[in-house]
Amino acid sequence: MKSLDPRVKRLPEIASEAQQDPKISLAQFGTFEVFVQPNPKKPFQHEGAVHAPNIEMAYVLAKETFTRRFTCSSMYVVETSNVYVSPLTEGSQSVYDLVNESKDTTTTKEQYEVYHLAKRGKQHIHAGAVVATSPEGALWEAKNRFNTGTAVFNVWAIRTSEIRFTKPDDDDFWSTLPEKKFRDAADYKGGEKLKTFLDSTK
Amino acid sequence: MSMHETFIKELLYKMADDQLILGHRNSEWTGFGPLLEEDIAFSSMAQDKIGQSHVLYQILHELGEQPPDTVAFMRKATQFHNCIFTELPNGEYDFSLIRHFLFDTAEILRFDMLRTSSFLPLAELAGKIHGELRYHVLHANTWIKQLGSATEESIFRLQQSLTLALPYALGIFEKSPHEDGLIGDKIFGGEEVLKDRWMEKVEGTLKDTQLTLPAWSTITPVFGGRSGNHSEHLPPLLDEMSEVFRIDPTAEW
Repeated sequence: MKSLDPRVKRLPEIASEAQQDPKISLAQFGTFEVFVQPNPKKPFQHEGAVHAPNIEMAYVLAKETFTRRFTCSSMYVVETSNVYVSPLTEGSQSVYDLVNESKDTTTTKEQYEVYHLAKRGKQHIHAGAVVATSPEGALWEAKNRFNTGTAVFNVWAIRTSEIRFTKPDDDDFWSTLPEKKFRDAADYKGGEKLKTFLDSTK
Repeated sequence: MSMHETFIKELLYKMADDQLILGHRNSEWTGFGPLLEEDIAFSSMAQDKIGQSHVLYQILHELGEQPPDTVAFMRKATQFHNCIFTELPNGEYDFSLIRHFLFDTAEILRFDMLRTSSFLPLAELAGKIHGELRYHVLHANTWIKQLGSATEESIFRLQQSLTLALPYALGIFEKSPHEDGLIGDKIFGGEEVLKDRWMEKVEGTLKDTQLTLPAWSTITPVFGGRSGNHSEHLPPLLDEMSEVFRIDPTAEW
């Protein structure tokens, strides 16, 4: 049986004949982006990334990594390489000022989910969905649909078909979360007890 | 105490003790999980189990038993009704995963049966924690499918743990002396029905992997836990779990 210990795998093999092979990549997991909906009235927002061997494992691992504490009504994941990222702008310049109609030659249309970065350092928030023939086309469509004039510093576009959504039957995953306030530091009000204790030891 | 109440208490105790003991065992992985995301997920689910045991002890308290903390931390090993399966040491992660898969598959089916229980507090609890249980089972099934067909080593190790775990897993379904009463009073459909449904589910999930199940008839179940006859692994677990509580049982937290 071969060992899974990466140190064992990295031991060099001793050559028997001269050859030139492509360098083998390390056996590390890829990353997946996680989007969370805090409640049914709010849009999905980007929460972070998880490492996983495939999208189903990513969904399972993301659930507790990103939604174990605050209220949540739904969650989805997508492979990082399926997130199309626009250039970044700053100050009063909006990404949409840089977007021109794409000269895409393909005609097959697909739905894309579009996300806005409204403030540097904050999360990307879902702006809506558009139908386009390419990620660049999605950006152009988004400019027409979601550009309110307020500066947007970065835009993401993801093919809807690449997303692992929460299945309708599973939307009660988070139904007992409001009772788990003990997972939040704010639930531990030790101030009074500490004061009493300190007073008693004076 | 009426016979009816005796049946219910016996059922509640074995369920609550299963959840508490396995919740504690699984929580021993906190900080040692195979990857950070999994460490967090497994710890959260352990916490869910302990939370579910707390609700069951609370129902018992309302039926006249001691308060949850007393029941959880002050009993001796012989007074616990969990199946031996839940108290076995974690060993390697493959064993913990297999136990998580086998136990939680039985657990969600048990609570599904209890959704129509004539004992309303149990029926309500079953409805309330349905989402938690569904996630636990999705987590278990996804891992088993992943590692059960990933590499030679992962398949070998899961298979080894599966073979070791199965006799203990069948111990989950050790019949209660009040089995007929529970069924007759429509409190719970019984261990035999549960076991059949469990076997079907386990077979269904393992079909998508390279793991193999021996014929059920060749496995001898390990019984005893339900009547307080435990392995040598339970007393040290209880000592550690109740260490802080026993320093001062009257302390307020």
